[in-house]
Amino acid sequence: MDAAPTISTQSLTRRFGELIAVDGIDLRVAPGQFFGFLGPNGAGKSTTIKMLTGLLAPSAGRIEILGLDLTTHAVDVKRQIGVVPEGMALFGRLTGSEFLNFAGRMYGLDRQTAAQRTAELLDFVELSDQPKKLVTDYSHGMQKKLAMAAAVIHGPKVLFLDEPFEGVDAIAAGTLKSMLQGMIAHGATIFLTSHVLEIVERLCSHVAIIHRGRLVAQGSLEELRAGVEAQTPAADGDGATPALGEKMTLEQIFLRTVGGSRRTEQELSWLG
Amino acid sequence: MAGIDIMNEGRLRRRTQLSAIAWLRWRLFLNALRTTQGKLEFLSRLLVSIAFTILGLGGSFAMGLLAFFCLSQGKPQWLTLFFWIIFFFWQIFPVMATAFGNNADSSDLLRFPLSYGSYFLVRLAYGAFDPASVIGSLWSFGIVVGVSFRKPALFPWTLLVFLAFDAFNLLFMQMIFAWVERWLAQRRTREIMGILFVLLVLSFQLIGPLTGRYGKRARPKVNKVVEVLAPVQGMLPPGLAADAIVQGIYPQWPVALSSFALLFAFAALAGCGLHVRLLAQYRGENLNESAAASPLPRDRQLRLGWSLPGFATPVAAVFEKEVRYLLRSGPMLITLIMPIFALLVFRLGAMNSGRRSVSFLTRAPDLAFPLAAAYMLLMLTNLVYNTFGGDAGGIQFFYASPVSFRDIVLAKNLTHVSILVVELIVAWIAVAFLYSHPALDITVATLAGLLFAVPLNFAVGNVLSLYSPKRLDYSKFGGQRASQTTALVGLLLQLVVVGMGVSVFSIARYFGNSWIATLLLLVLAGVSLCVYRMIFKRMDRLALQRRETLVAALCRA
Repeated sequence: MDAAPTISTQSLTRRFGELIAVDGIDLRVAPGQFFGFLGPNGAGKSTTIKMLTGLLAPSAGRIEILGLDLTTHAVDVKRQIGVVPEGMALFGRLTGSEFLNFAGRMYGLDRQTAAQRTAELLDFVELSDQPKKLVTDYSHGMQKKLAMAAAVIHGPKVLFLDEPFEGVDAIAAGTLKSMLQGMIAHGATIFLTSHVLEIVERLCSHVAIIHRGRLVAQGSLEELRAGVEAQTPAADGDGATPALGEKMTLEQIFLRTVGGSRRTEQELSWLG
Repeated sequence: MAGIDIMNEGRLRRRTQLSAIAWLRWRLFLNALRTTQGKLEFLSRLLVSIAFTILGLGGSFAMGLLAFFCLSQGKPQWLTLFFWIIFFFWQIFPVMATAFGNNADSSDLLRFPLSYGSYFLVRLAYGAFDPASVIGSLWSFGIVVGVSFRKPALFPWTLLVFLAFDAFNLLFMQMIFAWVERWLAQRRTREIMGILFVLLVLSFQLIGPLTGRYGKRARPKVNKVVEVLAPVQGMLPPGLAADAIVQGIYPQWPVALSSFALLFAFAALAGCGLHVRLLAQYRGENLNESAAASPLPRDRQLRLGWSLPGFATPVAAVFEKEVRYLLRSGPMLITLIMPIFALLVFRLGAMNSGRRSVSFLTRAPDLAFPLAAAYMLLMLTNLVYNTFGGDAGGIQFFYASPVSFRDIVLAKNLTHVSILVVELIVAWIAVAFLYSHPALDITVATLAGLLFAVPLNFAVGNVLSLYSPKRLDYSKFGGQRASQTTALVGLLLQLVVVGMGVSVFSIARYFGNSWIATLLLLVLAGVSLCVYRMIFKRMDRLALQRRETLVAALCRA
């Protein structure tokens, strides 16, 4: 990576009492990358993204976004990033239009621009047909689309998305994907966590895998594939081995990296 | 499980499930004690529980004594009054005191293979441990003891009536709650119900003044209504319970038994009402409220956000958001208009014709404006002391946005001040119409008093909002209060503020010049503003320190 990274962390650590949720990770995300951050449940993905977006204080380590230290330049960083956190961070008792307008002005847009972009975004995410409906009455998918629209209203240089496709139907997912790809085309950097590995494989150019709080792999898909293939091959039938002549999928890379395998045949014999 | 027949298996499973639910409640309680806030909440609850215990045991003793006295005086029919008191307390107290309850949602348990019988039992168990049920049971048991002391032979019969009466109350309360829950499940019906409920409560306030005003002229008609109502109440559960005991004393067992049978029938009816509702819940009713899309208007105009001259755009944005939230919250709006309504109630009460003893405010109309102002501030503290409560998940947005918490808090405080100013103007006009024009010195002294009390309350409120946040739903009635810790700290602060205010006015009164009070209050206001400023300056740091607690407390589903 030659260019100065858009996102970089040094020994980023977060402890919750005795538990080390994130254990000294060093992330580097270059400008314009569509970066997938993967890990099994409880690996530390959400904790990391919360720290990167200022929602959670690190116990140790350093975070730099766009070359700025997040601790000392929090406001400058936040002005240039967009966030869709786990809980979506919506204000339920506003209408979609009011919320977007509010979000735009909170990110420093003037009233005219905020109103203009609100209208455009509502049309784009197909939420303009119910102008009087409160956000609290939106379906989960509609809320996800609205949260995404609010995160991009100020044209951020970096976008952080925590599970953006969770609970979203195929049509809405298509809308969101095209929005994200458009942003990448315009030079933005996107950092997302997702459990849907097929989507990550299709969208992301670079991936990092976190396991038990530690970063166990980082690089482009090809780099990861090469790295995993160089290791000892897994046993047949464990779900982590590709068919002969086929490329290893991200799911297989992921399973090999985190050491997951399908063990139901030996265990839980009382099932079914 | 080959050796266990199906009946036994079902019984075993039910026992296991019920003990698992009891364990769950216990663990929830213990786990809540892990945090300092949880421990403080427990301490507050402990204090409230002590108050409830005193109320329950004291009331029980009083009921027993009164029942014994009635029987000794040969007037057992007075027992009716006690049963009606218990009934009203049992049914109305839970609505008034939802903040003190745990409000556990038993419908969450439906994801488990719980039998309908177990689900019904769990609901009843939750209801039986409600403070109103415990206190109501203690009171009615007091009657049993009182009657039995006077007539020991009647103990088994009185106990039976007590059980039927308590069962009725428990089932009736649960039935009402279950149906209200159903109507409250949808936001729109919830808001309509809430407004209707508050209007009902408000209309109760007017009964006294209006009957006082028109009662004399309509007394013959009222007497007629009372004559009709007296036998009707005898056919309702509290009257039936009393009658069953009274007839047992005389003794007229056929009448006593029929009253008891009717009481039992009422209990069964309430049980049926509850059963219908719970069965629908158990079968997984769908209360989806998503509306159909409305046709898109072609030529939409851009809706610009509000602007606040002299303030930054984010402050105006948060201000607009706060106002919109309040305007959409029937419960909050009604809370805010209560002081004006109280002025009306007091005035109507004072207009009772033929009564010499008029209300306090009519004797001292000069105090109407200061008291209304104090009441308004008190009502406003619901919002001020838990200012992020209504934001829920939106708190994450605040933390992720490039806006300082000082701006956010400033916008919220600005909203609250604006509300207070509007209310003060309305109150001043109301006082002028209903009582007399507030004198200039009193008006100025009141404003000076507010200048002292408002910044102090806002300063403490801003800190409490960060240190003891509680998620609120602005569309719901009941239970939408700040945490117990906040309530206790708020109470202490009000005692301090009122104490200082009384001292200041006493000094002014001693010197016979109310302008002295204004002067002293302005000095105190200076101190109060300094405190506010000092805390306000630290808001960003405090908000950062408290971010995890705040996000955890407000984003919890």
